[in-house]
Amino acid sequence: MAMNVIMPQLGETVSEGTVSVWHAEVGDKVSPKTPLFDVSSDKVEMEVPAPGEGTLLEVRVEAGTTVSVGEVIAIIGKEGEAVEVVAPPAAEKKETKAEITAPAPALSIATKASNRDSNGNPLSPAVRRLIAENGLDPDTISGSGAGGRIKKKDVLAHLGSGAAAKPAPRTDSLTMSGETEVIPFNNLRKMTAEHMVRSKATSPHVLQAVEADFASVGRARQAVSTQWKEREGFSLTWLPFVARAVCIAIRDFQRINAQIEGESLVVQRRINLGIAVDLDFDGLVAPVVKDADRMSLSELARAIRDVSSRARANKLTPDDFTGGTYTISNSGVFGTMITAPIINQPQVAILSTDGVTKKPVVIESEDGESIAIRPVGVLAQSFDHRAIDGAYSAAFLHRVREVIETTNWKSMLT
Amino acid sequence: MAELTYREAVAEGIAQEMRRDEDVVFLGEDIGAAGGVFKATVGLLKEFGPVRVRDTPISEQAILGAAMGSAMTGLKPIAEIMFSDFLAVCWDIVANEIAKARYMTGGQMSMPLVIRTANGGGSRFGAQHSQSVENWAMMVPGLKVVAPSTPADVKGLLAAAIRDPDPVMFFEQKSLYPIKGEVPDGELVDELGTAKVLRDGDDVTICALAAMVPRAIQAAEILSSEHGIEATVVDLRSLVPLDAKTILRETSKTGRLVTVEENPRLCGWGAEVASIVADENFWDLDGPVIRITTPHIPLPAADELEDATMPSADRIVREVSEKID
Repeated sequence: MAMNVIMPQLGETVSEGTVSVWHAEVGDKVSPKTPLFDVSSDKVEMEVPAPGEGTLLEVRVEAGTTVSVGEVIAIIGKEGEAVEVVAPPAAEKKETKAEITAPAPALSIATKASNRDSNGNPLSPAVRRLIAENGLDPDTISGSGAGGRIKKKDVLAHLGSGAAAKPAPRTDSLTMSGETEVIPFNNLRKMTAEHMVRSKATSPHVLQAVEADFASVGRARQAVSTQWKEREGFSLTWLPFVARAVCIAIRDFQRINAQIEGESLVVQRRINLGIAVDLDFDGLVAPVVKDADRMSLSELARAIRDVSSRARANKLTPDDFTGGTYTISNSGVFGTMITAPIINQPQVAILSTDGVTKKPVVIESEDGESIAIRPVGVLAQSFDHRAIDGAYSAAFLHRVREVIETTNWKSMLT
Repeated sequence: MAELTYREAVAEGIAQEMRRDEDVVFLGEDIGAAGGVFKATVGLLKEFGPVRVRDTPISEQAILGAAMGSAMTGLKPIAEIMFSDFLAVCWDIVANEIAKARYMTGGQMSMPLVIRTANGGGSRFGAQHSQSVENWAMMVPGLKVVAPSTPADVKGLLAAAIRDPDPVMFFEQKSLYPIKGEVPDGELVDELGTAKVLRDGDDVTICALAAMVPRAIQAAEILSSEHGIEATVVDLRSLVPLDAKTILRETSKTGRLVTVEENPRLCGWGAEVASIVADENFWDLDGPVIRITTPHIPLPAADELEDATMPSADRIVREVSEKID
């Protein structure tokens, strides 16, 4: 009995997904224990295993295609089995019988090379074999045949010239060659690259920074440090305090929590904080903590911990990436002083917290001025100058600092 | 080394083997006193006498029936069918009897005979005396098929055919009878089933047979001088056994195969060669196989029409230069 492979529902708010990679070809054995295909949406990439044991009989959707959730994208069954086409759940049941050819025999490597180059010229069997054997990209070989057709001797000349020593750009794995190491972008890297370029091209970024005294935060952390770790199983960092302060400050400066649509600023009522998480130098994601302003400091700390640990375990769902209204990036663990972050589109501002270090600070009191050692950190915000102006941003930052410095954090935790 | 014509080489080859082996006899229409209608057997009657060199009635069935019977009873006959077109009237004896005897007797009987025949067009003999029928013979299991292009090959391959214990169809291309070529002195015995590489080039491999060989060579020279295309030319010499090893090696080298065939296109020998190359050498092919053949028509007798139908050097040059990029 053939079974349908459908585009899975990867989250409540996700209606479609893109098949980014097929891990099996028609005729291959597939199993729920091994990934059958990868799905990508906005900023997540997930491996999806086969729904059952069997042979992949048909693939209906090429890699790179975006389809609706529930759509049949492949058929699994017994080898050589005729496929009964089962209509997707939404549609009415139709008892259509479709002819399906027996699974193709295992293909040799040469047949996997395309039989046309990007100009539409035919690639002869000899050329295809040489391209496949040597991992070449036909686009890098100049053809001397009719209409620029690549001939066997062109490939041999290309191989002889040393030009072929450059690895084909579509190589999947890391390739070493001489003095360079080429690391092809994975999907996340590509999406990040595209997003960063687009953000910089879209929003005129302005950077502002304030220095904040984290003494009150420090006292709170020191007071609960041990018991927190015992109770929660993780350390209480500076970040939840900053996030909480941001939520409080946004209440007074709501236009920070917004996006631009056409010639309007759409201010968001919900405060969904994106938390930038580095994946051990292997990419950056910004899962969203929804309704962060409704959480207590402890709840917020747990929520941040939850999304960041799931991010590192590659267990985020597409829902975790939707609906962000403001983003916080934290480079503090490496002791940096200031970072100019790039806005997470379509938001209009992003905050970077950096290292909190002990510094001599001038303290003003009724007894006059004195110098004290205080934990100090820089809060740097990039904002979209289309949406707001410097004064508004500065006032917001001032408010964040004020909350951080004047709140009795310790009382919130004990 | 002596310079002989193609027709003189026929007589030389037969004489060499008749001198060597008394069991070799020769029969056919007008082969004795007349020296052959194409004068390819002049002098044989005089040297070997009417017992071993026999003129026969005009009956192809009688010639081949007698040849078959004598081969089955210990002789090594050479039978001439004057025009290869006439093989059709004795095809039962060729295809059903001669070709099958060894197999059907479980190897108890061998059939050491040679059927020589004047094959092919170019001599204005019309549709019933000009056919190139080497592909008829090629498709009958049990027959060996030879078609030489030079006097030396005629002599050497004819000797090899006569010594072979199985039936060999020996196609002499009648338009080649007057051509001259160097033939080594002394005993000359070639090897059946071997092709010869006559010209070496990197761009295309041209496989040709019999009368098409000199045309392919001529075309290759023009392709080189006028089009900058360097052709390898392979003279197949033998269709069964077929020297597939040489064909595949030479085709693999250039990545392009051209067959030049005098036989009509449908099921011509080049189709089989193309099929073998596609099977064995597909991943070495750098472009489609090109078959240059006589079209699938009865050959016309008129000079201009006959010339227009058979592959010429000009046509080979034109087709190769247009299709090899």
